[in-house]
Amino acid sequence: MGNQNATSAVPAPRALLSHATRETLSNYVYLLPAAICLGGTVLFPILKAIHMSLYYNVLIKPQEYRFIGLGNYVRMVQDPTFWLTLRNSFTWVFWSVSLQFFFGFLVALILNGQFKGRAIFRTINLLPWIIPGVVVALIWEYIYQPNYGPLNDLLRRAGLMREPVAWLSNLNLVMPAVVFTNIWRGIPFFTIMILAGLQAIPEEIYEAATVDGAGVIQRFWSVTLPMLRPIIVVSTATRIIWTFNYADLIFVMTGGGPANATQITSTYTLMQAYSDLDWGYAASLSVILLVIMLTFTALYLKLTKGVESVAG
Amino acid sequence: MVKDDAYYASRRQFLQTLAATGAIAAADLAWWEDPFLGPRRARAAASTVRFQFSVPEPLRISLVESLVERFNKAQSDVEVKVEFVPQAQARQKLITAVSAGSPPDCCQIWDNWVGEFDGMNALEDLTARIKEWKHYKDTVPVAWQTVTVKGKLLSFPWVVTNDAIFIRTDRAKEYGLKIPGPDWTWDDFLTLAKGYTKPDKNQYGFGMRGAGTWAVLYATEFLYSNGAQVLKDGKVVINSPESVQAFEWYIDLIRKHKITPPSVATDGYRQIVEGFGRGVTSMYLHNSGSVEEQKKFVGEPNFATLPLPLGPAKKRASFYFSETLTMFKAAKNKEGAWKFMTWLMDDEPNYDYAKTLGLLPTRQALADRPHYKHPGYQGFVRSFPFSIVSPYLAYAGWGGKLDSEGVPLVQQAMLGKISPKECLDKLAEVLTKNMA
Repeated sequence: MGNQNATSAVPAPRALLSHATRETLSNYVYLLPAAICLGGTVLFPILKAIHMSLYYNVLIKPQEYRFIGLGNYVRMVQDPTFWLTLRNSFTWVFWSVSLQFFFGFLVALILNGQFKGRAIFRTINLLPWIIPGVVVALIWEYIYQPNYGPLNDLLRRAGLMREPVAWLSNLNLVMPAVVFTNIWRGIPFFTIMILAGLQAIPEEIYEAATVDGAGVIQRFWSVTLPMLRPIIVVSTATRIIWTFNYADLIFVMTGGGPANATQITSTYTLMQAYSDLDWGYAASLSVILLVIMLTFTALYLKLTKGVESVAG
Repeated sequence: MVKDDAYYASRRQFLQTLAATGAIAAADLAWWEDPFLGPRRARAAASTVRFQFSVPEPLRISLVESLVERFNKAQSDVEVKVEFVPQAQARQKLITAVSAGSPPDCCQIWDNWVGEFDGMNALEDLTARIKEWKHYKDTVPVAWQTVTVKGKLLSFPWVVTNDAIFIRTDRAKEYGLKIPGPDWTWDDFLTLAKGYTKPDKNQYGFGMRGAGTWAVLYATEFLYSNGAQVLKDGKVVINSPESVQAFEWYIDLIRKHKITPPSVATDGYRQIVEGFGRGVTSMYLHNSGSVEEQKKFVGEPNFATLPLPLGPAKKRASFYFSETLTMFKAAKNKEGAWKFMTWLMDDEPNYDYAKTLGLLPTRQALADRPHYKHPGYQGFVRSFPFSIVSPYLAYAGWGGKLDSEGVPLVQQAMLGKISPKECLDKLAEVLTKNMA
């Protein structure tokens, strides 16, 4: 019997895949829905844009639709307006983000303190961020209006102006004017992010630093800033990407004018797509925007040592 | 077991429900446009016409809705459904709809789009139908020109307009200025504009347009006064010596004489109309579309319109533009669309539309009505003899380029970044490159 039992004990058939492989595969299966969603909404549009950028695709000339390889990119290199828009984009992003960050930080430091009416001040501070971008643009377009806008009226009543200043029509003033509007709108973003970071810094660290004889400025440089580094890196990188691609404000306030003085690459892309209906060229512009932003993000994260915490 | 039976029963029920839902949905697809089965079947007798309208301002929305309602009530064969699309997106939406093979049956478009759509082979050739239409001969010939491409009539010129100069008569009296007659000259224009200009009071002589396609078109009308042309013998000649001379004079209005508001380079339609209405400017060039508005803004007796002034060449031109009704080749209900369009062109609907919006009817019988004898319209009526179709309609490729390249060039000249000659040379280059 014992022998019989021994012969009948057939070893269990070996699984086709090892346990570890099956586990890995099942992990991928769980990831599949998310991968399909991301692929459909992120990857596919990017690939489609790259594909479109290789074609002569002007909607009003369907009969001329054809593959032109890198033709749109060659045209871009030779297009002086593209280079102008790129320069404008860097000006727009640099001044907008650096000043938003500076003032956002300042407001966050103030709001981190204890004072009466802090809750109200925090709510008011959020208002520019809550208002939709297009509405912000319309409000400021009205404020800047030279003939009946409140800004000129105020300056004239204060005796600071004799003749109206056309803020959005003057080549020297138009970019600062739209950048100012963007700063006004973006300060709350940095305030919220930095305030959250400030409140997460344990009080004991400050106490220890004080015991060690660190003054206010030393505490700021040696405790606050390093502890905030991950938040600062993420928020500035995010904001730079947003601002680079942000077209609503300029599109509504100036339409990129006058004389392309505020034409940034994203509004130029919009114009190529919806005014000239040149989707091939617009696609190549958006591909270049993507490449610039990817390169920037990689470099930025490398230079700032990524988002690792200070302890790490 | 009981549990299992219950399980199978519920799965069967689920599958049956699924099948039934599928069947209903499939039956529903045929009437996809409407949300409910019942009312759709009741209306199945009337064929539906999709009509797209692209200037959804409150006044136009209520006007078009009331016209559509009147049409739907007046007959039972066709039911028109109007789709309002913001003007800024209308052209692009129509073009993408045409590319996707699902345009509306008919729509309102500007005549400068007709060439583009014809270039896409998207428009129905209406020549034969229109020539048989009862009011064909009553429609002014120049209106037909605005919708004729390569000899084909592709649209109905619904309403037409040309350009004239609006002038504040009350302010002229206040400042002791003499309003010239209809055959005034550039010199008269400049004298009057200087007389109106009082920068310390935030008052300027002329509200010049610097933004939008019309910034180029209005400037071109002044160039025509000096004998210039855009196209001659198939060649772009917008940078001819007479054209450059005229454009220098035009730019001098801003840079030398300073008779325009400082915001000129970004002043669009709204700014020039409101600038005049609010008393910032005392003259501006526009079509008849703002006559009714100015009656409310500055008051009926306080303004008049004059034709464009004569230039040194003793010439002048006013550009005709028409708002048209057109039908697409891929329309699903061509007969219904035709019925609706011809109804809109009939006496009362056409007159109501034109009169409410301050535009001019294209049918002579309607243009002769007393409403158009008002002084506010006289500048436009007097401009008829020298009105021409915009020369920029010659090539479909020019439409978008005027916006994306022409306007920034004109703005650069206005701001002194480039000379008027450089501006016209570059504009000529752009136009020549896009003669397709």
